[in-house]
Amino acid sequence: MDSELAELRLLHLADSALPIGGLAHSFGLELLVAAGLLGVRELPEFLKGFLEEAGFLEAVFCRAGFRLGNEAGLEGLARNWLALNERLSARKPARESRAGSGSLGRNFLAAVGGLGDFALVREALRASKETQGLVHHSLAFGLGCGVLGFEEERAILAFLHSCAASLVSACQRLLPLGQNAAMRILWELKPVIVETMKRSAGCSVDDASCFMPLLDWGAMEHPALATRLFIS
Amino acid sequence: MKIVVRPERIERAGESALQPRSHVAASLRLDFERDAFSGRTLLAASHQESPLKVVRAFTVEDGAALVHLHNVSGGLLGGDRLELAVNVGVGAEVQVTTTGATRIYRPRVDALAALQSNDISVGENALLEYLPDAVIPFAGARLSQRTSIRLAGGAGLFWWEIVAPGREARGEIFEYESVEFVTDLVAAGRIVAAEHVRLEPKKRGLASLGRLGAYRTWATFYICRVGVRAGEWLEMEKEVREVLGLLGRREDVLWGVSTLTAHGLVVRCAAKRGCDVLPGLQEVWRVAKWRLYGRGAVLPRKVN
Repeated sequence: MDSELAELRLLHLADSALPIGGLAHSFGLELLVAAGLLGVRELPEFLKGFLEEAGFLEAVFCRAGFRLGNEAGLEGLARNWLALNERLSARKPARESRAGSGSLGRNFLAAVGGLGDFALVREALRASKETQGLVHHSLAFGLGCGVLGFEEERAILAFLHSCAASLVSACQRLLPLGQNAAMRILWELKPVIVETMKRSAGCSVDDASCFMPLLDWGAMEHPALATRLFIS
Repeated sequence: MKIVVRPERIERAGESALQPRSHVAASLRLDFERDAFSGRTLLAASHQESPLKVVRAFTVEDGAALVHLHNVSGGLLGGDRLELAVNVGVGAEVQVTTTGATRIYRPRVDALAALQSNDISVGENALLEYLPDAVIPFAGARLSQRTSIRLAGGAGLFWWEIVAPGREARGEIFEYESVEFVTDLVAAGRIVAAEHVRLEPKKRGLASLGRLGAYRTWATFYICRVGVRAGEWLEMEKEVREVLGLLGRREDVLWGVSTLTAHGLVVRCAAKRGCDVLPGLQEVWRVAKWRLYGRGAVLPRKVN
């Protein structure tokens, strides 16, 4: 595949408007806003922390998924795929965020599966369905990008950018955050996205750390919120 | 026990003194068994290397064995490598607590991080209640703690960990260099929780809203019983959430609860004051113990 075409396809798959359900999830942000812990003023700092912690963790798993799609054959794929997803599930303490990531991942991989005849994607979806296991978004994105032959670093950058864009979009619905301000926030996060992508290169899934107790709290207690815009 | 003695500069309350210092490699292994005749749990075997000590096992009123972990050196120094192994045999019930907070001292500049590893195995239908005091990393401290917990079929676990920001009374907040906690919890052969946290306050500020915000002390509490159905955990999540809602104002302390991927719950806490954490954990423990075991939690007697 020539690089221009690959770039276009990656932009397509990383678009936060891709119909996989991303707009329905805030991953705990909704409660942080409702509790008065997060406002427009704090948003840039919060999102920077998000990328450095949760973004980093997801980037490491996204790379692992990419390598499965890019380097591994069908043999052993199911076992490794299920183990990675189980491991990432264990890293997510809040059940709604876990399920949300699982929903986006399954939809993403199914969408990629509909774009061509990809045996690895079919096998991953089959294995997860058979074991009723979750298909996490970062792993699915990585696997899909690996299968499609994109460049690894580009894929991680695109994934992190789409995560940040989704959260900013959620904040536009939760906070008095205008389009220009939202665009500026996302623009200024780009150096953190690049740094997070680079940091994730030398890290294994077992060594990836993540510490976001406030967001974890928001995600864990989101089920108790009386009026909700988001599923998580 | 392997002891290396060499001089080290130890700072106390602003003054410095050249003192001999040891960093040690030591282990403590505790094997518990249920006595079939009496129904009590006994400390069947132990291997103790100073500075890690357990004086004896006390019998709790419900037949469980209670031990107090004691680090006779007062805390962990740079380069220390301490290993704790706890094996709870089939049907045995054990409470483990500490004699006081675990202090992580400032190491020499060239010293390795203090390393604490915990290897925990809970046998079929056994129960482990691990209820330690807080970990307090002093200014400059470096700690790496790695914990592996394995639960067999029917096994139960109440396990909390509290991490203070430093010596708060002297205004020492997040002045440690690095603290790492790696905890893997495996139930019936399946990983159900994994917490991998690395905090380096000077590199990535903990007061960021993306991390602790205005809160300082944080805690994690795992509540498990292998084999309990997913639906029951969801009901229990709601019950615990109601209890957590009564524990304090959000301005002071945040409490969250969620089901794990299977076999348990996790409770998280972030508090502005450390004193708000332990009473809340104990309250959740009482409720969860009653729900899972049909009996009350017995607070461990302290020896200090």
